[in-house]
Amino acid sequence: MITAVQIGMKRNNLVPGLLFGLLVAVSVGLFFVPAFIIRPFRPQSPAGLTLAMAVRQQAPLWSLVAAGAALVLAVVLWGRTSAWKRILLVLGVGLASAAAVMTRVDYFEWMFHPVAAPGFESAENVKLDPAQMVMAVRFGSDSRAYPIRAMAYHHVVNDTVGGVPVAVTY
Amino acid sequence: MWKRTLGERELHFRLAGINNQNFLMRDEETGSWWQQVTGKAIFGPLKGQVLELAPSDELTFGLWKQESPAGKVLAPVAADERHYENNWEPEVQKLPTPLNFLGSGLRSRDVVVGLEVGGASRAYPLNLLSAEAPIQDRLAGTPILLALGPDGKSVRAFVSRSQGADLELFRKSGSPEWMLVDSSSGSEWNFQGCATARPAKGKCLERLPALKDYWFDWRNYHPGTSTYRH
Repeated sequence: MITAVQIGMKRNNLVPGLLFGLLVAVSVGLFFVPAFIIRPFRPQSPAGLTLAMAVRQQAPLWSLVAAGAALVLAVVLWGRTSAWKRILLVLGVGLASAAAVMTRVDYFEWMFHPVAAPGFESAENVKLDPAQMVMAVRFGSDSRAYPIRAMAYHHVVNDTVGGVPVAVTY
Repeated sequence: MWKRTLGERELHFRLAGINNQNFLMRDEETGSWWQQVTGKAIFGPLKGQVLELAPSDELTFGLWKQESPAGKVLAPVAADERHYENNWEPEVQKLPTPLNFLGSGLRSRDVVVGLEVGGASRAYPLNLLSAEAPIQDRLAGTPILLALGPDGKSVRAFVSRSQGADLELFRKSGSPEWMLVDSSSGSEWNFQGCATARPAKGKCLERLPALKDYWFDWRNYHPGTSTYRH
């Protein structure tokens, strides 16, 4: 009798166990697939890029659902599994949660920090080599220069020049 | 450089990714994805929308300061300034390119000045421009002037037509000031494209947006582009 019950419990663990693994894989994939496609110095195909953007658009919701479901399954499975399998459960929940966090993060801004609020210096006072290149724009009497040494790092600056909102991009 | 408004709506852009070495941005308002070089939304709720170009220049700081002594300069972000690269161009030249267009006569990282006029596009290799400027050309029937500024680095493009007549422009020699002279009237034109001496004094040439870009990137977004040769 006892043996039969034990076998029954093992069978019961197989399906939720596989489902747990699948949920973890889904959550990790939702982060990793677009991150892999959109990586620098590699060609992006139009189809690949569309897939990456579609996944990134949906990933914050579905990775949270997958990580949450994985956590519920881990709790259910916890009492019925051996110690080493519990390590797998903890690792899986950790991975799925980390992926769910990463889908919400603009990690490109970790490498190239955004300009929170652009500050300016007068042309007279700024210390910049006259040979340095700038991007220049003028609306009305408002004339502004964005040194390329800064733009090549930040890449995008949201500004308003002479009342006109502009995105300076490089 | 783009106007970041669509109708009445103001958008705020953030760096969000990369597509064949041209960056992608997302607007905070809708999360749509935009291609930096085209100003076009390629995914999300605003897909298909195009931002309006904000007329801008790529100049040396010295030249800009002469033209805009009361102008303002973006201040470096103190915490990030150590990442700014003064001499980044030679470094970028060493980086691999994701796309290569064979048989073009140009290398992927060759810098070109790209023009779009009346649906036609043409790439002017910067080294050719530096050697030959001012360049006069025709694109889609429009007379074009590409001028290299007095600093030898800044480039501007104009429609070389004034009061209905095409101009033939030459660098004025023997003058300390940078001037172009048109052969028919003898008017003098400065680097802002405005005539400073009679008879055309006060007239300005129409400016054309010119994009300094790597050949592979320009060619990728302008598949029908021609290339300027001698």
